[in-house]
Amino acid sequence: MAEYKITKQERQAYAIAKNIKENQIVIVGTGLPLIGASLAKRVVCPSCHPIVESGLMDCSPVEVPRSVGDNRFMAHCAVQWPNVRFIGFEANEWLHDEDRLIAFIGGAQIDPYGNVNSTCIYGKGDYVKPMTRFTGSGGANGIATYCNTIIMMQHQKRRFMEHIDYITSCGWMDGPGGREKVGLPGNRGPQMVVTDLGIMKFDEQTKRMYCAYMFPGVTPEIVQENTGFEIDCSKAEVFPDPDQEILRIIREEIDPGQAFIKIPKE
Amino acid sequence: MNKVYSMHDAVAKFVESGDCVCFGGFTTNRKPYAVVNEILRQGQKDFTVWAGPAGGDWDMMIGEGRVKAYINCYTANSGYTNVSRRFRAAIEKGELVYEDYSQDVLMLQLHAASLGLPFLPVRLMQGSGLMKYWGISEEQRKALEKVDDLKCVEIENPFNPGEKVVAVPCPRLDLAVIHVQKASPDGTCIIEGDEFHDVDIAVAARKVIVTCEELVSDEYIRRDPTLNKVFGECVSAVVHAPYGAWPSQCYNYYDNDSHALKEYDKASKYQDAADAAAQLAKAAAKAQKAADAKPEDAKLAEAAAKAKKAADDAAAGIAVPETFQDYLEKWVYSVKDHDELLDKVGGSRLMRLKNEPHLGYSTRH
Repeated sequence: MAEYKITKQERQAYAIAKNIKENQIVIVGTGLPLIGASLAKRVVCPSCHPIVESGLMDCSPVEVPRSVGDNRFMAHCAVQWPNVRFIGFEANEWLHDEDRLIAFIGGAQIDPYGNVNSTCIYGKGDYVKPMTRFTGSGGANGIATYCNTIIMMQHQKRRFMEHIDYITSCGWMDGPGGREKVGLPGNRGPQMVVTDLGIMKFDEQTKRMYCAYMFPGVTPEIVQENTGFEIDCSKAEVFPDPDQEILRIIREEIDPGQAFIKIPKE
Repeated sequence: MNKVYSMHDAVAKFVESGDCVCFGGFTTNRKPYAVVNEILRQGQKDFTVWAGPAGGDWDMMIGEGRVKAYINCYTANSGYTNVSRRFRAAIEKGELVYEDYSQDVLMLQLHAASLGLPFLPVRLMQGSGLMKYWGISEEQRKALEKVDDLKCVEIENPFNPGEKVVAVPCPRLDLAVIHVQKASPDGTCIIEGDEFHDVDIAVAARKVIVTCEELVSDEYIRRDPTLNKVFGECVSAVVHAPYGAWPSQCYNYYDNDSHALKEYDKASKYQDAADAAAQLAKAAAKAQKAADAKPEDAKLAEAAAKAKKAADDAAAGIAVPETFQDYLEKWVYSVKDHDELLDKVGGSRLMRLKNEPHLGYSTRH
C-alpha cells in the first residue's frame, strides 16, 4: 500500500475530530467541520451527534453534502425539524444549563478575543458599501450566542487582526466579563481556533488567544509571522499527525470525491 | 374551491410590483424557481424582500433589478457559489438597499409572523455588528413603505427586570411562494422532508402561490392528513409544475442539477458582455503587473499573456464568456414557459437527477 502524505486540510479535519467529546451534540456546517465530525462519528468518537442549523438532527450522510439543507443530510437523519426548532433547541440547552453542544463556525477575520467577521471587509468603504461582501451571518451569530464554538480559519496575517471590521459572531468581546456586559451568556464562548498551523486557545484569565498546539514542522516564528497581533507560543506543544488508517478513512470512505479534502496529484 | 391556475395566470394575478415577498426553500433545496422565472418573464418589480436562506432565486432577482429592499441573513448557492455573485456585486457597488439579520432572528421573525405576534423579543445579535450597524437607516426606512421604521430595539425584559433583550419587527408579507411535493386543487399541501420556513410564510402571507410536483385530488390528499402541512384556505393559487424547483433539489423527487448550478456560478460573475470585458481587462492588467514585478518568472509571463488574450477577445467580441444575462436568456427569457424550459433541459438529463430511493439523492448526474 502506498503511503498517504498528509495535507494541511487533513490535519485540520483530524484536529476537529479529536476535539469532539463523548456524547456531544455537534453543530456542523459543510466543508472541513463536516469531514472532521464524520471522522469523529466513524472512528474517534462514535457517540457524538452531528446536527445542522437547518434543523436536521443526528445526521449520518453517506455522500458529503454541499449545503446544510442538502438532501444528503436529510436522508438517514433522526429528525427533520424546521429551522426554528433548531434555534429553540439551541437556546433551551443553555436555559437548561446543559453543556452538550459544540459548534463549528468560520469567517474571514478574527481578533485576539475570538470575535469573528463573516459579513464584509470595509477596504475604503464601510458596512453599507464594503470592498468585499460575504454571505453574512447565516446561523453563526446564534450559534456563537448560545454555544461553545470551535472556529475554523486559515492562518494569515490579514485574517488574524487586533481589530476586525465587523463582528458577525461574538467571541469573548473585549475580554473578561465582555459577553455579560452586552447581554450574552458568559458561560459560553469560543474554545479554540483550528488553523492550518495549529490550535489556538483562549487564556482563562485574560481571554486572549494563545497558541496551544502547532502541527509538525510549524515553529513559533511561523505562527507569529502569520498573526497580526502578538501571540504567546511559549506553551505550545506539537499536535501529532494521525496514523495512516485515519488518512485512508478520510480519503476512501468519507470524502472519496474530494469535495472538501483536495489531494495534490503526485 | 378549485384554485388551480396556469403558471402564467397565477403570477399575473397574484404577483404585484411593490409586494413584500418571501420565497420558501433553503439555498439550493426546494426553491420555487419556476415562479421566479415566470416573474422575471412578466416583469413585476420593486419587491421588498424577506429572504430566508436564499440562493440563486433572489440573486437572479437582484441581478435583474427587481428588488427595492433586501432583508436577508444568507445568500449563496452553498457548495457551488460561496457568496451569490449578483448580490455581492450589487452591495459592493452600493446599488442594493439591504439589511442583515442573523438567520436565527430572521427565521424567528417569519415564525412570529405566522403566529400573528405584534413584535418579537430575542436574546440574539447582542454585542454584534448586526445590532450596531443598520443597512437601511432610520431615515431611509421612513421613506420605504413596506420596511419597518426600526431594525431592532434593545429593551428590558418586563418579566425579568435588568435583563436586556432585543425587540425586532414581524414581517407583514403580501406574498409567499413555495414549491411542494404534492398539492390538491383546494390548496392543501404535502411537504416531504424538511419544511424549512415554508409553512410559516404560507400562514403569514396575504397571498400564497404553491407550485407542486404532483397535483392530486382533494380526496386523495386527505387519505393521511398527518402528512398535510398547509391548510388549503391559506393558499391563493395551485400550479402544477413538475421539476418546479429545478435547478435546486426536491426531497424524494430529484437532486440539484450540478451542471446548471456550476453554469450559474460561472456566468453570474459577469452581469453582461461589457462587464465581462471590463473585469477581464482589469484581471489582465493585474496579471501584467505581477509579471513585470518578476520578469524572470516564465509562468507569470505566460499567465499575463493568457489574461491579455482573454481580455482582448472579450473586448473585440470574439470570445465573450457566458454572462448572467446570457444565462437568463438561455434558461428564462428564450423559453415561453416552464414546459418549454423542461424540454430545453431535456428528458434524459432530468431523469438522471431523479433521487435514488435507497440513497435519497442521485449519483447519476
